[in-house]
Amino acid sequence: SNIALFTCVYICSHQFAKKLIGLQHGHEILCCIICKPSICCMCVCLCNPLPSLHRQRSLPHRPPLIPLVARMADQNTSGTPAMTEREASRLDKFKQLLAGPNTDLEELRKLSWSGIPRQVRPITWKLLSGYLPANAERRESVLQRKRQEYFGFIQQYYDSRNDEHHQDTYRQIHIDIPRTNPLIPLFQQASVQEIFERILFIWAIRHPASGYVQGINDLVTPFFVVYVFEYIEEEVENFDVSSLQEEALRNIEADSFWCMSKLLDGIQDNYTFAQPGIQRKVKALEELVSRIDESVHRHMQQYEVEYLQFAFRWMNNLLMRELPLRCTIRLWDTYQAEPEGFSHFHLYVCAAFLVRWRKEILEERDFQGLMILLQNLPTMHWGNEEVSVLLAEAYRLKFAFADAPNHYKR
Amino acid sequence: MAGGSVFECKEYLFKVLVIGELGVGKTSIIKRYVHQLFSQHYRATIGVDFALKVINWDSKTLVRLQLWDIAGQERFGNMTRVYYKEAVGAFVVFDVTRGSTFEAVSKWKHDLDSKVKLANGNPIPSVLLANKCDQKKESSNNTALMDNFCKETGFLGWFETSAKDNINVDEAARFLVENILANDKGLPYEESNGDRIKLDQETVAAESKSGCC
Repeated sequence: SNIALFTCVYICSHQFAKKLIGLQHGHEILCCIICKPSICCMCVCLCNPLPSLHRQRSLPHRPPLIPLVARMADQNTSGTPAMTEREASRLDKFKQLLAGPNTDLEELRKLSWSGIPRQVRPITWKLLSGYLPANAERRESVLQRKRQEYFGFIQQYYDSRNDEHHQDTYRQIHIDIPRTNPLIPLFQQASVQEIFERILFIWAIRHPASGYVQGINDLVTPFFVVYVFEYIEEEVENFDVSSLQEEALRNIEADSFWCMSKLLDGIQDNYTFAQPGIQRKVKALEELVSRIDESVHRHMQQYEVEYLQFAFRWMNNLLMRELPLRCTIRLWDTYQAEPEGFSHFHLYVCAAFLVRWRKEILEERDFQGLMILLQNLPTMHWGNEEVSVLLAEAYRLKFAFADAPNHYKR
Repeated sequence: MAGGSVFECKEYLFKVLVIGELGVGKTSIIKRYVHQLFSQHYRATIGVDFALKVINWDSKTLVRLQLWDIAGQERFGNMTRVYYKEAVGAFVVFDVTRGSTFEAVSKWKHDLDSKVKLANGNPIPSVLLANKCDQKKESSNNTALMDNFCKETGFLGWFETSAKDNINVDEAARFLVENILANDKGLPYEESNGDRIKLDQETVAAESKSGCC
C-alpha cells in the first residue's frame, strides 16, 4: 500500500518546503526542496523510532511567520500558497475516495490519520464522526433530517433558558461565550456568539448528568471553524458571518451541534459530577510518564508538582488551551481517524506532549518555575509539522506501552 | 523583630488561594497584581492557574506569593481539596454587579474552612474582595453591613476592588500578607512547616482597613 501512516520528517530550517521523493518500506520519504542535497536535511524517520524523538530536533530558527491564530483552518501552515506535489496527490486520493457511491470509511480513516486537506475536511469530519452515512445517496436526506431535528430542539427548549431551573446553566454559558477564543475576531460577532449559546444550551439540558461544564465551549470551536470553511474561500479568522446566507449559517450551526454531540458522547464521563473520566486519565498519564521517562517523572515528584495541577486542563479541554487552534484542527483529523481517538489516544498524545518538553522541565529547579512552564508551554509558533511529530510519537507510545504495564520499566 | 545581624534576610513562601463564582474577575485580579495588566479577554480558568508574585516586603524580608487561581465552576467534588492543600491565605471574590455571586461567598468560605486549616486548627486568614467596583451602579453605603458580614463569616476584612481601574488590589494583597506574616512571625519558610502561631482574630480585625474604597 502506498498510503503511509507515518511520514518521514525532515528537520531543517525550511521545514515546510517539501517534496515526495519516493517510498521506502512503504513509507513516504520527503526531501527539502530548498536545501537539497545539502546535508542540513537531517531525516528522522518515524518508522524507526528513536527513543526520544525531540532530542534529535534542534529548534527551527525561522522567522515568526505564523501569527497566533492566523491560517487556523489551513492544512498547510507554510505560508506558501501553492500546493506541493505531495499535497496535491493526497488531495486526489481523498477526492477519489469521496467520489464513490459508498465511501470506504476504513480507507478514509487511514488516509486521514496523517492530516486531511482543508478542501475536503468538512465532509471527511462528518463522515468520520458518524454524522454522515457512508452511502452518498442517503447523505442529503440525513443532513436535512438532522438539521430539522436540531432546530426542533431550539423551538422546543430554547425559550426555557430563563426558567428558574435552567437559568444557572444559561448564565454560565452566557458568561463563558464572549471569553471563548477572545482574540479571534470571528468569535466576537454577536451572531456567532448566539450560535454558540444555542448549541451549548441545548446540549447541556439534553445531557443533565453533566450539564454545561466549562471547557465544553471550547470544543464547539473546531467544528464551527471547519464547517464555516465549507462556505468560504478566504481566511476564516476575520470573516464576517453576516455575509453568509442565512441557510448556510443554520447548516453550520446544526452540523456543529451534532458533531460536537458525537464527540462528547465518547468522553461524557469527563464532565459528569466530580469528572471521573478526567481523574482517571490524569492518573493514567502519571503512570504512563513514570514508565516512559523516569527522570521527568522523578523531577516533578522532587518538586512536588502534581499532574492534576497542569494536566486537568489538558484532559478537560483536549489540549485546546495548550495549542493554537490550527493545531487542534490538525490534531482532530487524527483523533477522528484513530479508534477512540478523543477518549483514549489523547492520553498518549498528552504523554508525548509532556515528554516533548523534557529538556525545559529538567532545567527548572523549583515548583514555581515548573508550574509556570507547564501552564504556559511555548507552542505559539506550532504548525502541522510539530503536531505530526507529536502524533507519531504518541502512536509509538501507544504500541510500546499500551498493554505491557511493566515491560519497559527499567 | 529580633535585633539580629544586618545580613539577615528572611524569605517566605506563601500559598494563597483565589476563589469565588465564575466570571467575578479572579484571573483579572491576579493578572493586575502580578503583571500590572488588564484585559477584557481572559479565557475561563480551567482547573487551576498558577502565578507567582515576589515582594520585597522590607529591607530584610522577601515574600514569594504563590497565587492559585481556582476555576469558578464548582464541579470538582473533592478536587478543590487537592488545590487548597497547604494554603496559608485566601481571597474570596464576588462581583458587585451580580448579587448571586455575593450569595455564593458563604458557600466558598465554608468549602475553604472545611478543607484547609492552619496547623493549630484555625481557619486560614481570608479576605473578601468586592470586585468590579468601577461598575457599581449606585454608591450605596454598605460598610457597616459588610463589616458585620465579615465578622460573622470569619473574614479578616473586605475591600472594594477593580482589576480594571487598579483599585485596592495591591492594598488587599498587602493586608492579607501582613496577616499571614503575623501568623508566621519569627518562622522563616524553611523552619515553619505549617507550625504557625495562633491567629488572633480580634486584633487583626481591629487593624483592618475594610471598606476603604
